[in-house]
Amino acid sequence: MKYLGARTRVIDWEARTNGSFQYTADVKLDGLLEGVILRSPYSHAKILRVDTSRARTMPGVHAVITAADFPPGARYFHEGVPDRPPLADGVVRFIGQEVAAVAAETRLQAQAALRAIVVEYQQLPGPLTTAAALGRGVSRLHDRQSGVDNVSRSVLRDWGSAETGRRNSTVSVSGDFFFARQTHACMETNIAVAQWSETDQRLEFWTSTQAPYYVASEVANVMGLKQDQVICHEVGVGGGFGSKSKICEHEAIAGLLARLARRPVCVKLSREEEFETTKTRHAFSMSMQLHADSAGQLRVIAGKIDVDNGAYNHSGVSVMGAGIKGLGMLYRPEGLEVSGRLVDTALLPGGQFRGYGTVQTSFAVECLMDDLAEKLGVDPIDLRIRNANQSGEMTLVGAELGSARLVECLTAARDAIGWTREREKDNRRPGRGVGVSASVHVSGSFTMPGANRSDAAIDVFADSRVRVRFGGSDAGTGQKTILALIAAEELGVDLEAVDVQMMESDKTPFDMGAWSSRGTHYGGHAVRKAAVATAERLKGLAASQLGDGDLRLEDGMVKSAARGIPIGTIAQLSNDLKDGILSTETSFVETSVVQADRATGKGNVSPSYNFAAHAAVVDVDRRTGRISVLDYVAVHDIGFALNRITIEGQAIGGAVMGLGAALSEEIIFEQGKVVNPAYLHYALPRAADVPRIRPILIEGGDPRGPYGAKAIGECSINPPPSVISNAVYDAIGVRIRDLPITPDKIINALARREGRSRSHHIWRRPSRWWIAIVRAAYSRGLLKILHARNLRFASHVEPAPLEKVETPATLANVLSAMGADAKLMGGGTDLQLQRRLGLVEPKRLISLAKVAEFQGVKTLADGVIEVGAAVTLTALATAIRHRIPMIAQAIDKIASSQIREMATVAGNLIQAKRCWFFRNGFGCFKRLGGLAPCYAIEGDHRFYHAAIDGHRCQATTPSDLATALSAVGADVVIAGPDGERVVSMDAFYTGPGEAVLTEHEVVRSIRIRAGATARLGAFVKLRLWEGDFAIASVAITANISADGVLHDPRIVIGGLAPTPWRAQQTEGSLDGKPIEIGTFRAALDRELDRAAHPLPRNGWKLDAAAGLSEQALEAVLRAHEAAQAAPVRESA
Amino acid sequence: MQESLRLNVNGKATGVEVAPGSRLLDVLRENLGLVGSKEACGRGECGACTVLIDGRPVASCLVMAETVSGAVTTIEGLADEFADLRRAFADNGAFQCGFCTSGQLVRAAALIREEWPDNPDEREAFVRHRMSGNICRCTGYTGIVDAILLTAQARRSSAADRP
Repeated sequence: MKYLGARTRVIDWEARTNGSFQYTADVKLDGLLEGVILRSPYSHAKILRVDTSRARTMPGVHAVITAADFPPGARYFHEGVPDRPPLADGVVRFIGQEVAAVAAETRLQAQAALRAIVVEYQQLPGPLTTAAALGRGVSRLHDRQSGVDNVSRSVLRDWGSAETGRRNSTVSVSGDFFFARQTHACMETNIAVAQWSETDQRLEFWTSTQAPYYVASEVANVMGLKQDQVICHEVGVGGGFGSKSKICEHEAIAGLLARLARRPVCVKLSREEEFETTKTRHAFSMSMQLHADSAGQLRVIAGKIDVDNGAYNHSGVSVMGAGIKGLGMLYRPEGLEVSGRLVDTALLPGGQFRGYGTVQTSFAVECLMDDLAEKLGVDPIDLRIRNANQSGEMTLVGAELGSARLVECLTAARDAIGWTREREKDNRRPGRGVGVSASVHVSGSFTMPGANRSDAAIDVFADSRVRVRFGGSDAGTGQKTILALIAAEELGVDLEAVDVQMMESDKTPFDMGAWSSRGTHYGGHAVRKAAVATAERLKGLAASQLGDGDLRLEDGMVKSAARGIPIGTIAQLSNDLKDGILSTETSFVETSVVQADRATGKGNVSPSYNFAAHAAVVDVDRRTGRISVLDYVAVHDIGFALNRITIEGQAIGGAVMGLGAALSEEIIFEQGKVVNPAYLHYALPRAADVPRIRPILIEGGDPRGPYGAKAIGECSINPPPSVISNAVYDAIGVRIRDLPITPDKIINALARREGRSRSHHIWRRPSRWWIAIVRAAYSRGLLKILHARNLRFASHVEPAPLEKVETPATLANVLSAMGADAKLMGGGTDLQLQRRLGLVEPKRLISLAKVAEFQGVKTLADGVIEVGAAVTLTALATAIRHRIPMIAQAIDKIASSQIREMATVAGNLIQAKRCWFFRNGFGCFKRLGGLAPCYAIEGDHRFYHAAIDGHRCQATTPSDLATALSAVGADVVIAGPDGERVVSMDAFYTGPGEAVLTEHEVVRSIRIRAGATARLGAFVKLRLWEGDFAIASVAITANISADGVLHDPRIVIGGLAPTPWRAQQTEGSLDGKPIEIGTFRAALDRELDRAAHPLPRNGWKLDAAAGLSEQALEAVLRAHEAAQAAPVRESA
Repeated sequence: MQESLRLNVNGKATGVEVAPGSRLLDVLRENLGLVGSKEACGRGECGACTVLIDGRPVASCLVMAETVSGAVTTIEGLADEFADLRRAFADNGAFQCGFCTSGQLVRAAALIREEWPDNPDEREAFVRHRMSGNICRCTGYTGIVDAILLTAQARRSSAADRP
């Protein structure tokens, strides 16, 4: 084959890399309005009244809609009982649920109108966790058929004979596992442009979707239209990962707004809305067991699963079913007995997400497989090989495996990762471990009528160009290119001669879209069938010219042995031309599949099954809890790689998304509201957080796949969580069953195992008594009382417009321009965000970028280094890297290179606290004052809150630069109307991110004290992702004499207390002594124990900070040794 | 209320009428029709809107147009000069959905012009660190890193070959 199986650039690569590829936000229509959505501020409430009358009269407003504008009882289709209306219909069941929407000329006008809508709510209690939902006497969220309050659906799967299996077992392992809510975080936020044509009575969409078919059918359903009245147009789709494989909530809203406004409307979610209101992966709580015999034959998989449904059904029923089904496809137990409950909570609903249930259940079972191997005393890979399903088998759930190369995957993973070498006793290095995991996935599940069918059309033009028409959409999977490759291959034309048109409802034939890993199988077969039919037609037409002999398609021609004629010319011979085009449309129906039996859940739902084995080497830092993934291989049984570039891309991309779930990703709630709705707060992997992923493709074909190809898109996300848990266990002997495996869990598990704990003797510290009492009262109901008083969640709005941005050139002009209506701006990297979050609302901004006095890094006569306030972080790092490397090291770890180029020294020092409650709309004490609560006391404070000296607010000072500058000894020069004053860096802060500046003052420069360049130093930082704010950071500097004695050490810890915290007692105990790490650690631990008053879940930060401090001191020592080895050192 | 500004974008001096405090990203996309720069977060956290100002990568969603005095370069202005990098992106699977790609390419273009570590073993970590302000949710970064390493390598060797 010429094209299939090769490495081919995607056909639209030019447009996708030169900025011209059109996404929905780039669609320009005349009269386009902006649509915005009013959302529920309550987890559960009755809507007593909605009054939109004022909003309708506001300037620029063209439409205002509420539930009353949809047909009565409109509900989205779901598996299970359809329960979600497009706009809240009498009741809201989660914070962020859509209540009303406005279309106006501008976003600001639309938002102003939203504020004018009056909604009266009557709050209701609502369960905010699955445990609460299942407790006694709880309030019901829905009336469900299951007979149990807040259980939307329960299921018991009993396949094979679990009873016999148990009798035959001699070994069992079990565990309770938790898979957190991961969110897709597609780079393009959800967006749709809709336009209603009164003449045609049709609604047109440009929308970022994986499934145009579902958008049309669901919009038609909730708007009371016929499906053919709703059409989609082709547009770029900025990622999907399942989230866009059904309708998304903004789409019907855009449709109705456009219909009523009689103008096109764009509804685009902000990034915050995307995180706060779009459906997540369902969290699974799983209590699972494996039973096996002494020979290592798996006998039974058993367990109970509670699935957090969120507030509405969506795909919860089928995600739960698919998760259990996945357990019946990988191995060969005698029996499986798993029950599941889909539990309603008054939270953001779960939805479809790559991996779809299997990623959750396989995490539990693949960890248990390792536990079982250990108990049996066998190698984990051998155990998996022994139990692996094989080609030709029928699995427990009724899956007919045409091909199954799991054993080959496991063997390849073993070789590639160096399994045997890594596990060799003599090679073991402390903290280093290796882990493996296996997985299986469907290649398109036959979930509903029509899902086993896919149509395609091929057009041949007179100029011999070929166009494939296909109804699905390519959200980045590379499906479009694969369809083109197939057409080019079958029709013997150059790939360059093939165009592919997708998701144009009027022109592209039936396909349900890209979900359930169905793109390869269904799209592949559909286009192959259409192309083969086209080829036959062309040969038939050519017979009159070339004879009936052996004709073939090649080089864009139909060829006989003697000669060839271009296919376009041949096509013109047809009597069936339409507009001069020869079109052939065919329908592919997969007959080997059945819909799962409703009662048993069994059946061969997928035409093929794809397998994978992943393996990784990790390093676990026992001192900080940090896990580094050093090497990762992803081996996939994909039958045949239709296009190697995109198939490998799916393996790598899925693995990294799975690593995100393994290591850091989790949507966190407090009082029902999402705490971390931003890339800043939602820790997903950046380039420096993950290793090179090495994909290995196992081929050999599949009897049912197109050209032998099977799917890959979802299977690749399944193994990483268990790979990492297994590798961590191998490395340090602790089993983490609770995702994501963040550093706190490692430190806490190690402390538990080693029997370590810290004691802070609060009873001996009267200054902490009041705080301790208040904290205790919070958990006994005080938070509830204070929260109720302030229950108003702000959410992101477009910042208020500015009157002016001023760019003064001198300090004097800055001082005279300052005023209550103005804010000073350095790089603006925090100020712009604060405006967006409604933390500040200035009318004027005063840019400091061009103020002469604020520029430059200069060495003054006395050896002091003066750094202008408006010097960017990058500029400071460049200027100081060889003189005080520690400061450059600290800067390198701040945010991103883009932010470092913009952010200024002073701006970094006075940035506002990064507490995710304060920043993300919680009505907290620091926002509202008075009796407003601190949400961090009971909320998730594991990472970013103070463990020392927390009072009314638990936030910390976010600036790493402050930590570093404190450690070298620096002063801040502050200018004001009365001249300048100088404040020591140690005295600069009065609270978390709060400085001594008055409203009339401005930071002019920083002075790094003389002698700083002679000190040795190091800066280390623990964070969840590259560029994140510090969980804890440590800067240490000291003079070290040639004999290795430490003089005047400064030890400063960031992220641990409201302001950078100096370990002064430890400094004193080290001064004048040779460096001894053990003594240092003991002294620091004593001081931390005496000083700290951690919150219930952030005491681990003390261990981590102490561990970081050891590492910093070791680095200082290394610097000293290096300096001794090369005594000629450049000074200042 | 609108104010007139002069901007130098992709080598051309341009006059624009904007509201005070307009974001450079909006001016590029709405006023100048340069829609290659994307808004994915509007908070300076993802890199999709990265443009160069005097060759330095910045998040154009946080830059106010009034404060820009240097030369602005967007993906549209870099596409030709970095055709090799774009091809390498395509050949190494460095994009899937493509939404972050303009920002990745603009950041990478600046990176290719930066001073690189002499030690080849340090280059991958160097690239990963510098590129960590550009989130990609699809590719897992391996292809992006490879495309940048290979392009930089090819440019170095062709520069070395030049007489």
